[in-house]
Amino acid sequence: MAKKIINEDINDEIREVLIEEGAEDIYKCYQCGKCTSICPWFQVDMYNFPVYRFSLETSMGMVASSEDKDELAAEIDKIYRCVGCDACVTQCPHGIDTPSILRAARRLLVDFGSYPETLKSTAQKIKNVGNPLGEPAEKRADWAIDLNVPKFQEGMDHLYFPCCLPAYDSRIQNVAKATAKILQQYDISFGILGEKERCCGEAIRKVGAEKVFTEVCKTNIKEFSGSGVKNVLVSSPHCFTTFKNEYPEFGADFETLHITQFLSKLIDEGTIKPSKEFNKKVVYHDPCTLGRKNGVYEEPRNCLKCIPGLELLEVEEFNRNLSVCCGAGSGGLWMEWEKNERIADVRLKQLIDTGADIIAVACPYCLQMFEETLKSMNLEIQVLDVTEILYESL
Amino acid sequence: MDIIVCIKRVPQTAEAEVKIDSTGKDIEKDRLTFDMNESDTYALEEAALMKEKFGGEITVISLGDEDAEETLRIALAKGADNAIRIKAEDFDELDAFQTSQILKSVIKDLSYDIIFTGCISTDDAYSQIGLTLAELLEIPHAALVIDFDANEDRADVQRELEGGLIEHLDVALPALFTIQTGINEPRYASLIAIRRAAKKEIQVIGKDELAQSEFISNSTLEKLYVPPISKQVEILDGTAAESSAKLAGIIKDKGLL
Repeated sequence: MAKKIINEDINDEIREVLIEEGAEDIYKCYQCGKCTSICPWFQVDMYNFPVYRFSLETSMGMVASSEDKDELAAEIDKIYRCVGCDACVTQCPHGIDTPSILRAARRLLVDFGSYPETLKSTAQKIKNVGNPLGEPAEKRADWAIDLNVPKFQEGMDHLYFPCCLPAYDSRIQNVAKATAKILQQYDISFGILGEKERCCGEAIRKVGAEKVFTEVCKTNIKEFSGSGVKNVLVSSPHCFTTFKNEYPEFGADFETLHITQFLSKLIDEGTIKPSKEFNKKVVYHDPCTLGRKNGVYEEPRNCLKCIPGLELLEVEEFNRNLSVCCGAGSGGLWMEWEKNERIADVRLKQLIDTGADIIAVACPYCLQMFEETLKSMNLEIQVLDVTEILYESL
Repeated sequence: MDIIVCIKRVPQTAEAEVKIDSTGKDIEKDRLTFDMNESDTYALEEAALMKEKFGGEITVISLGDEDAEETLRIALAKGADNAIRIKAEDFDELDAFQTSQILKSVIKDLSYDIIFTGCISTDDAYSQIGLTLAELLEIPHAALVIDFDANEDRADVQRELEGGLIEHLDVALPALFTIQTGINEPRYASLIAIRRAAKKEIQVIGKDELAQSEFISNSTLEKLYVPPISKQVEILDGTAAESSAKLAGIIKDKGLL
């Protein structure tokens, strides 16, 4: 039965604080519900995630408000279900930024340690050792040991910033290796920061840990400007979006390109010409942060279309700005949800139903989320980064 | 039922590379995050559960520097009614015995039925404060409590002993209990409680406000060092069945099962 709200339940102070923290869009909502129907959680049968209610509840100051311990835990669980994919933002007639409304609540909760333990641990690892995996800084460049990748020096054209997963994860290191080998093959001037490289902080900011983000952001800006970095190439759309759209407000003064943008340009110019046949059916999954948030749809496809023998497939309807999130954004990568409550299951089914041999991604988070989820689903389909496929064809 | 909970703000070292600082008596803390000591969060939750059952007030106390007020506010948002900070900056290095005496000098004047502390702090790991404090206050105590219930004047507790044994005790109140992790599920704070806690006054007590000024020390920290890395490898020979039996014997002998 629906809960009856009485005047005493409404809390003006909470509403005002949430507006100060970024929930200023709440009054634009007229409850049409398009956000709920486009939200990836809507496609997960076993989980009810009423996005349309967040603006209304925030306008009444009724967010994470229950006095009951278990009800409050369920409310906070909901706040941390949002994967920040922006599907609702692009479909809302008024462009309401619901992820930011939820992030306003997250910021207040984080300051009082009232958020999931797994995310607390992730924030601690990023602050304490500079990456969400808790790995030591001196191992950050181990992926590059056999490749003769130089340390970045002033005068080099590009800094390659691989992201924490390609730097440390034994499987995803192959993405950083493939990228470095392509750049070396075409004599691109680039270097890496090695052990001075630290997490970009994008995900932890979305979790609400603003203080940790601000600290890593300022540390990175200082390191980049001190090293004379002007152009950054990244493998992760998450590093891409935060360097490009968020770091400038903290004084960053460098250009950032996602690796697929850079390689696509070299392909268009005729510098890169894949020659080996890659006779596979490949479906490309648009990462939310690269596509919907930054409009980079065609460049990753361009990197695949130029490969001889490769048949590029699309997920019917749910591609480009309608792509469904893998579930790893805004801290989702570190959350543990029940097997029948996972967005990745839904998206993988859509991708597998295309009949593809390979799922191509352009984001380390998507790569890890899909590979881990496939293991628990007992399904076998290969997941590769666009750079891994491109390197194979050169 | 009035309850006191002693809490400590500690560096989070589980996910960090711990380095000894230049004094040789502490660790480098610049890049570390801080949070409420883990077992203290369970102690606070146990207090909140008792308050739900019997009413009364929870007072949290921390001997810490100004940053400890952040941790006290978290406690206020998660069920505490009052918070006291004893100014650590008024003291030089303190050992566990001195800390217990200082806590006692404040707590002896407060009204309480139960005192909860965490069973161990994750930084110094002395496990001494709770029991020493109880002895100084001359009240009963039980350590490593894994199950707790109470009525108005007695507590029914279970505590962990070595080798998987559990001791079941009936304890007269007032008494002190050191709480083991896992006894309950610590709660989140609601946004309303967070806002309320942000505005609450924290009572700050300096050294000169305490009834006594000298606190006897019974230990001195000589130096901190990283233990030398050693390897001990034992190869179990024989068939799969024989080596499995040997392995099972070793696990049993070491009390791991």
